[in-house]
This record gives sequence, structure tokens and C-alpha cells, in this order.
Amino acid sequence: MLQKLLNGLAIGSVYSIFALGYTLVFSILRVINFAHGAVFTVGAYLTWALTGPQVGANGALANSQLPVALPFWLAAVLGALGAGLLGVLIERAAFRPLRRRGSDPLLTLVSSLGVAIALVNVIQYLVGAENYSLGTLGGSVSIAGATIRRTQVAVFIVSMIMVVALTWLMNGSRTGAALRAVSEDAVTAQLLGINVDRLIWVSFFLSGFLGGLAGTLIGMSVGIAGPYFGIAFGLKGLAVIVLGGLGDIPGAVVAGLLIGVAEAFVPGEYSAYKEAVAFVVLFLVLLVRPQGLLGRVQIQKV
Amino acid sequence: MRHTARRTAAVAATALFLVGCAGEEKKTGDTGGGGASGDPIKIGVAVAKTSNVALLGQEQVIGAEIAEKFFNDKGGVNGRKIDVIIQDTAGDENGAINAFNALIRSEVVGIVGPTLSQQAFAADPVAEAAKVPVLGPSNTAAGIPQIGKYIARVSSPVSVVAPAAVKQALKDNPDIKKVAVAFAQNDAFASSETKTFQQAVQTEKLELVTVQTFQTTDTDFTSQATAINAKAPDLVIVSGLASDGGNLVKQLRELGYKGALIGGNGLNTTNVFPVCGKHCDGILIAQAYNPGYDNPVNKEFVTAYEAQQKKKPPQFSAQAFAGVQVFVEALAAMDTKEKLSGMKLPDLRDKLNAQIIAGQYTTPLGPISFDPEGEVKQAEFWVARIKMGADGKAGEFTIVP
Repeated sequence: MLQKLLNGLAIGSVYSIFALGYTLVFSILRVINFAHGAVFTVGAYLTWALTGPQVGANGALANSQLPVALPFWLAAVLGALGAGLLGVLIERAAFRPLRRRGSDPLLTLVSSLGVAIALVNVIQYLVGAENYSLGTLGGSVSIAGATIRRTQVAVFIVSMIMVVALTWLMNGSRTGAALRAVSEDAVTAQLLGINVDRLIWVSFFLSGFLGGLAGTLIGMSVGIAGPYFGIAFGLKGLAVIVLGGLGDIPGAVVAGLLIGVAEAFVPGEYSAYKEAVAFVVLFLVLLVRPQGLLGRVQIQKV
Repeated sequence: MRHTARRTAAVAATALFLVGCAGEEKKTGDTGGGGASGDPIKIGVAVAKTSNVALLGQEQVIGAEIAEKFFNDKGGVNGRKIDVIIQDTAGDENGAINAFNALIRSEVVGIVGPTLSQQAFAADPVAEAAKVPVLGPSNTAAGIPQIGKYIARVSSPVSVVAPAAVKQALKDNPDIKKVAVAFAQNDAFASSETKTFQQAVQTEKLELVTVQTFQTTDTDFTSQATAINAKAPDLVIVSGLASDGGNLVKQLRELGYKGALIGGNGLNTTNVFPVCGKHCDGILIAQAYNPGYDNPVNKEFVTAYEAQQKKKPPQFSAQAFAGVQVFVEALAAMDTKEKLSGMKLPDLRDKLNAQIIAGQYTTPLGPISFDPEGEVKQAEFWVARIKMGADGKAGEFTIVP
């Protein structure tokens, strides 16, 4: 029982910070950034590359390696920063041009999906489809009779630090106040002298940072299973933000943990169906609360 | 103005594309035949170069390319070059069907492919309908050669290979009593393989304490590992692919499992090493290929592979090589009886199919032949044990004597 709860919280905490990336962008632009799963993947690969291993036998960079070999924690920070910058680039390439032309926000859904596919293919082109391992935190610890892998503990702690940091940023800093103002009403915020373009930029950076860090954390726990390994997380993240209430930050955190725990409680014999269980939970909650767990009812303003 | 120009360009490009397609369409039919005696003979290879199956497909591409060079250097088919055309199937059934269709249209004499059994069940009927011989390089599920007259495989079915690993585990430790099994439920091959393993467990009169399931796309296996450890088995048998199977092993070990491990054919690749690292050590895997096998063609194959990839070739590369080899040698045997250049393509494909079944081949997998249904008859199998280096990064499959 406790074992399952802890297993669920560990994986759920990563779902949370991954979904926070979606949430940040959604709360500002009211669109889903489909490239987020690919940013997750890039974050993991960047961290991996910075620790200085050799690329496998496939791909254009076969058997090469970076001249640096950074310690894992530093590589993880730089990898997440790199993923943040990638988020900004994606905004410039796939979101801004369409927004400038006033096109339907739905179109950016397709353009960001295009970016995602391109990124995944570039990774495969460069380093092939091999598995790569990341980090070396092995072994397990005992907590009140339950056995937990050390990486799970580390993943949970780092994720929770990120949640706290982001909550502080949103509620305790000027940038956070401005972000909240823009998400409330972008036009009014602009009239009040807030630089909306800069804040969109900031939200994409934070989103990319969190996505990339989530990639590294998952990579550390289960290795990098090829360029496609972020795709499943992309879908899971969508479930999390819908369950939490679109654009709601505490909602995304609660929903991430909830889906993680729900999955962990699926009996082992039926584990192959655990994703179905997660989505059934989502469906049932939406029947009762269409606005999500913590989301607000959208009032149609006429 | 600019917009109009752009639109015109787009329309023109589309038109050109359509014309191009139509042009290609026209080439279909039976005009090609054995071709002029100087033209290379086209052999199709349809494997997963992309998608999450690319891990295996890339190894097959390397094997097929080495075979192309190897046999062309040896004079091809009685002096005529072979041209190995590689089509990407990606990881799903539709991709495999498209790749098969594309190869059939480009007038290959036969196809080596696809990568997964799952894909074979979808794409092989396409080749069967077009009467194009197919050699499955890595399709080991039950029922593949039975898809049709033109379908054969060089990969021995799991029912033949897998039980050897269980026997070896019992030889290592005769006290094994309780066995846990885990398999990837969304994969036709793993589901077929696990039945064989479970049968072997029964045959050896062992107790099956739990059967756990997962998906090949899963990464988090803590629930399965926790459930398995709760039953305290002496042996765990995993049927999946490299990244999921490797992760299950790693998480199982980290959570304290100390007993024996058997991996299915999907784990039979060096790609599991980075996934489970030092925890891969000791996994037993039944193999249809042994890089250390002592025959001339295998030695040359291993040398060519090592020169290119700096590691020992995996089973998937060797089987793709063997697939191309069977085509080349069957074509050469036909050509000696009746010149290929005089034959129409449908006739050539039909005779080639008969010749494949009739022949015997000395491949890197050892001597192989086929039964009338197209099922491979392989002389030797091996059980390998994974041995990881001290750093937990590099490892190798050591054949258990």
C-alpha cells in the first residue's frame, strides 16, 4: 500500500513538472504547445551529451563525443537551460509568426506538432535510435517497510523543489505578477504597460526549462529509450493539465501526482493497462467537474 | 502579387509531384523480367529505419549492406551485381505495407523483411498476393511461414530457441522452484514468446508464481517489479524489447531481486547494455546467432561488421545478412540452370521462391534450410550470458559452453 503510494508519487511528481510546462504556455496564450514532448526529449539528450559520453554506432555523429565531461548535476542544469532556450526558439519559429498574422490559435497546434516531429527526427539523425544511460544513482532505500529506488527519491525531491520555486516565482515576484496579469487579460495588461511579448518569451523559457528537466529526471530513472521516448509523456502531460484544470498551476501539480498514484495502484497483472486507467480517471473526473479538479468555470464574456 | 506567385509555385510543385508518381506507376507490371544481363538484380529490404523499432532495424540495415558489398565483391549472382534496395517500414503495420508495396513496384525479385512479427502479419499478405518471395529476417512468432506460399523466414521460431535458456538456468541452479514471467502485451512477438516460456516452465515442473504485463512503450516498471519481488521468485523471465525489458531488469534489481534472469529474443542486442548497465550482468538469452561461430562466412561477416561498427555483430544484423545471402545463392543456383536475363519478372519470382525452399545455405547462423512451408531449419542454437564490464557500461554476450 505505502509502496504503491510512494511509487506513484515519484512518477507523478515528474508528470506534474512536465505538465507545468504546458500550463505556463496555455495560461498565457490559450494554446497547447505540442512541441513540449520533444523539448523533454531534447533536455534529456542535452544533459546526456554534456556528461561527455560517446555517441553510439548509428547516426551522423556516430562514435563522436563532446570535448567536455561535466558532472551530472551541472549537465542537468545546463541541459534544462538549453531546453529553455529551445522553448524560446520554438516560440519564435512556430508561434510568433502565426500570432502576428492573427491566425486561429488552433493553427499553432499544428505548427508546434510539426516542430516536435522535426526535432525528434533531427535527434535520430544525429545520434541514432540507441538507448543511452544517464546518471548512475543505483540501489534502493527502505522507508517504513517499503523499498524505493534511490533515483525515485531524487526525482521526487527535485520535482518538488521545482514546484515550490515556480509557485514562489508566480506569486512572489514581479515577473509572476505580470504573467498572471497577462493570463487574466493580455490586452488590458498591455495597456497597463506590461511587455506581453517579453512575458510570452519568459513563459516559453520556463516551460522549456521544466520540460527539459523532466526529461533529464526520467532519463536518470529509466535511461533514454531513443528519440521517441518523450511522445508518451506528451500525451500523459495533456491528461494532467486537463484533469488539473487548463492553465491552473496547483491543479497541474495535484493532477500529476494523482495520475501517478492511480497508475501505481493498478495491479501488476494488469499493468499493461495502466495508461487506460489513468485516462478513465480523467474521463470520470471530467464528467463531474468539466473545468478540471482546480480549474475555474470559464465565464463567457459578451 | 507575391501571394499569387507563391500559390502558382505550389500548384506547379503539386502537379510535378503527381506527374512523378504517375510516371512511377507506369513502371509497374511485368515488363522488367530478369532484365538485361548487365543490370543489377534488385533485392528489397524492408525494415524499421525509424520509430522506436529503429533500434533493431538499424542493425538489420547494417547487416544487409554488408551482405550487398560482400556478395558483389565475390561476383554477385554469377557475375551480375546485386542492388539491395532498403525501404523504411517504421515501427507499425501500415509502414510495413507501404514499404512492401514500394519495393514490389520497384521490381525487386524478393523482399527481406519486415522487422517485427506484428508487421509481418500485416505486410506479408501483400507480397503473397503479388507473388513476391519474402524472407523474414527476425519474425519469430508462431504462424509466419503459414501466411502463404511465398513467405519464409531465416529466423528460428521462439518455440525452438527459447526453452534452451530455461534448461540452462536450471543447470546453473538446480534449486530453482518459483518462476515469475513478465511480457509486453502490445507486441505480437513477446506475447507469442511468453507462451513458449510458460510452457517450458510447466515442462520443467516449476511453479509459475506470477505473470506480469507491460507495454513496449512503458518506462516505469516499479509496480511490476514490486509485485514480482513480493512473490520471491528464483527465476524471472522477461519477454519484451531492449529498452522496456532492460528497464524492467534494472528496476527489478534495484528493488532487491537477487535471483536468475532470462531475457527473450527482444533483449538479444547490445542495446540493452546502456539500459540496465551493471544490472544486465548474468541475464541468460537463447540465441539463434553466435558471433564466435566458426565458419568462413561468419568470420568474414564478423570482420566486416567489426571494421565498421567497432563491436561484435548482433543477431539482427547476422539474420539480415543471411536473408540477403539466401536470395543471392538461390538466384545463382537458378541462373546456372537457366539464364535469369531471359526470364519475365513474375516467372523469375515464382521460380526463385521454389529454389529458396529447395536449397541449403551455409550462413553466419550456421547451416540452414527450409521445410516446404518456408519454416527455417537451423542446425545449431546457443545460450548466451550477458557479462558486463567493471564500469557497468560495456558488456558482451558470452556463449555458455
